[in-house]
Amino acid sequence: MKHLAAALVLCCATPAVAGVDEVIDTHILPGMDAFAEASAKLSDTAASDCTAEAVRPAYQSAFDAWMGVSHLTIGPLEQGGRLLAIAFWPDAKGAGARTLGQMIATEDPAVDSPEAFADVSVAARGFFALDRLLYEDPYEAGSYTCKLVQAVAADLSRMAGEVDAEWHDSFAETLRTAGEPGNDRFLTRDEAVQALFTLLGTGLEVDHSQRLGRPMGTFERPRPERAEARRSGRSLRNVVLSLQALRRMADALADQPIPQTDEAFANALDAADFDDPVFAGAADPMGRFKLEALQQAIDTASRAVDGELGAQLGVTAGFNSLDGD
Amino acid sequence: MYRLALTLTAAGACAAGSAMAQDRAAALTTYADIAEAAYADSLSTAERLKEAIATLVETPSPQALQAAKEAWLQSRVPYQQTEVYRFGNPIVDDWEGKVNAWPLDEGLIDYVAFGGATDENAYGDLNVIATPTFTLSGQEVDASVITPALLEDTLQEADANEANVATGYHAIEFLLWGQDLNGTGPGAGQRPWTDYAQGEACTNGNCDRRAEYLEAAADLLVLDLQDMVAAWGADGEARKAVTADTDAGLRAILTGMGSLAYGELAGQRMKLGLMLNDPEEEHDCFSDNTHNAAFYDGLGIRNVYLGSYTRVDGTVVEGPSLSELVAAADPEVDALLRADLDATMEALRRIKTAAEAGFSWDMMLARGSDAGEALIMGGVDALVKQTRGVERAVRVLDLGDVTLEGSDSLDNAAAVFE
Repeated sequence: MKHLAAALVLCCATPAVAGVDEVIDTHILPGMDAFAEASAKLSDTAASDCTAEAVRPAYQSAFDAWMGVSHLTIGPLEQGGRLLAIAFWPDAKGAGARTLGQMIATEDPAVDSPEAFADVSVAARGFFALDRLLYEDPYEAGSYTCKLVQAVAADLSRMAGEVDAEWHDSFAETLRTAGEPGNDRFLTRDEAVQALFTLLGTGLEVDHSQRLGRPMGTFERPRPERAEARRSGRSLRNVVLSLQALRRMADALADQPIPQTDEAFANALDAADFDDPVFAGAADPMGRFKLEALQQAIDTASRAVDGELGAQLGVTAGFNSLDGD
Repeated sequence: MYRLALTLTAAGACAAGSAMAQDRAAALTTYADIAEAAYADSLSTAERLKEAIATLVETPSPQALQAAKEAWLQSRVPYQQTEVYRFGNPIVDDWEGKVNAWPLDEGLIDYVAFGGATDENAYGDLNVIATPTFTLSGQEVDASVITPALLEDTLQEADANEANVATGYHAIEFLLWGQDLNGTGPGAGQRPWTDYAQGEACTNGNCDRRAEYLEAAADLLVLDLQDMVAAWGADGEARKAVTADTDAGLRAILTGMGSLAYGELAGQRMKLGLMLNDPEEEHDCFSDNTHNAAFYDGLGIRNVYLGSYTRVDGTVVEGPSLSELVAAADPEVDALLRADLDATMEALRRIKTAAEAGFSWDMMLARGSDAGEALIMGGVDALVKQTRGVERAVRVLDLGDVTLEGSDSLDNAAAVFE
């Protein structure tokens, strides 16, 4: 009987149009535009002055814009591994330090050609390459590192522009026409809703298990050195911006009020209101308590998204890239 | 129309409830039977590997090393086909790290030419084969005799770090092949057989301890596989767990199929290595057997969907399948998924064919190798596409949330429905 009851609710209570259009128009496309624009500004800034002092503010703004869309990992960001090239993290085997070190030591000529640089290992590209280059070892204007910063910024701007254009030119339409003849990506309307819904849950899982979970490690063996973008002081900021973006997406996707979800996101953002920008407190009991509380609040938000929004939309989460190890 | 169809299917399912429940139970039995057979094949081939290693240790020679390598390669054929059991079955997932943990910081085990300690792993250069006593996370360790217990209880995941892999197939692979020093060029690891020669002929030192380590690792592999064969036997825990509740059991099958294909194989093992251009990111990086690791992973996924497994002795284990259940619910979804699984096998076969002809996986990872990138991305794209078909199968079987091992969200959703 449960099957029948569930089916009836699905059939009668859910309008055929969940907020796919609204997510695209109010969340995805504006977010991608902002990301492309901020990345272009970063690239222009680096082109005119590649010293760390000059580039840092534009890097911070572009990273902020990225956090508005970093969870939108279907379509253009999934194509050709762009997600990894824009934001290669976590880096469990220290590939970033190794690859950048090799490029600098050998003065790898790939920096002189955008085409060649697009083939470079993702460990030496994107935001996390800049996190190291701009905030770790000082370098001179005119040095190889300075050229490398320019190449990374230009490559990032190119990818952001491509992703933005592909969303506008094709993938938004692919989502909007889910279930229509000729759309072999989304065979039913529900598949598009499920795909967007899955991104929400995955985004929360990334915040919970990676952005917080990695630096927290275990009580016996905390790992604050694993905090995301800690060199540029962004670890907590990234969690906050991610939660804000995910909340906007949940609200856009819902077509009825979602009070439990809204409350859970508000509580999570309250729990993120503390002064420990790079999670150094993971290693001491008081600091750890705050991280655990935040992690728990994010977990509650995940449950609210599944139980309230998922039920309302009549979908459950699909597979995500974190399944597996 | 889709929602209406779903409603009718669900209502029909209630009327025909008991016949459907029987079909579902039968498909789960097939799934458990294939597991039992594939783990039994993994065990029998691991026993042959253990014998070959005993011969290598007793009478070291180039031929004995080669025979051990061949036994290792054969043992991987059935084992990789069991990987589809991992993510859906907590009993398998909790155990799996002992036999197939990867990637590893091999400097923990023996001498290396590159790698070693990093910020992430202070014990990446421990080299236990050369180090009879050492301090690990503040504890003095006596490793004067290398035993299975030392590997299993002390070294495995030392310092709470997953990169410290002391046991299983990849530890043995490293001890047989050694590091692959060819980068993205041709050639696998070239460990000399004299690394196991005793007395004057011994190369790279500590050949007695290296032999002791290799035998301990082979012993453990056999013991661990025995446990998993038993777990899928008639009264085994894993079989009981997966057949206790038919919907949960079917969810376990589909979770295993989707998680292995998408997050693990397409993501971690294929796309990531390609995007890093890093030969250390290939799954079987010492032996250059990665094309087979991926191919037999893909085949294992297809086996459990079609309900058919060809054993290492050529006999076939088959029975009522998940495919038939999906076809009964929606023939189009089944046909699409079968086509997707076939397309994946074709993409993985292309990689295997090129690798066997000399264009190995690590060469495909080289910066600027357009042909290598096309081969690997062909596999990735096919695996991603088939995972969408798996999600459709979950929907038509009305199984709820496939990605959650707990039932909290299902309970919550049910509460909302009421």
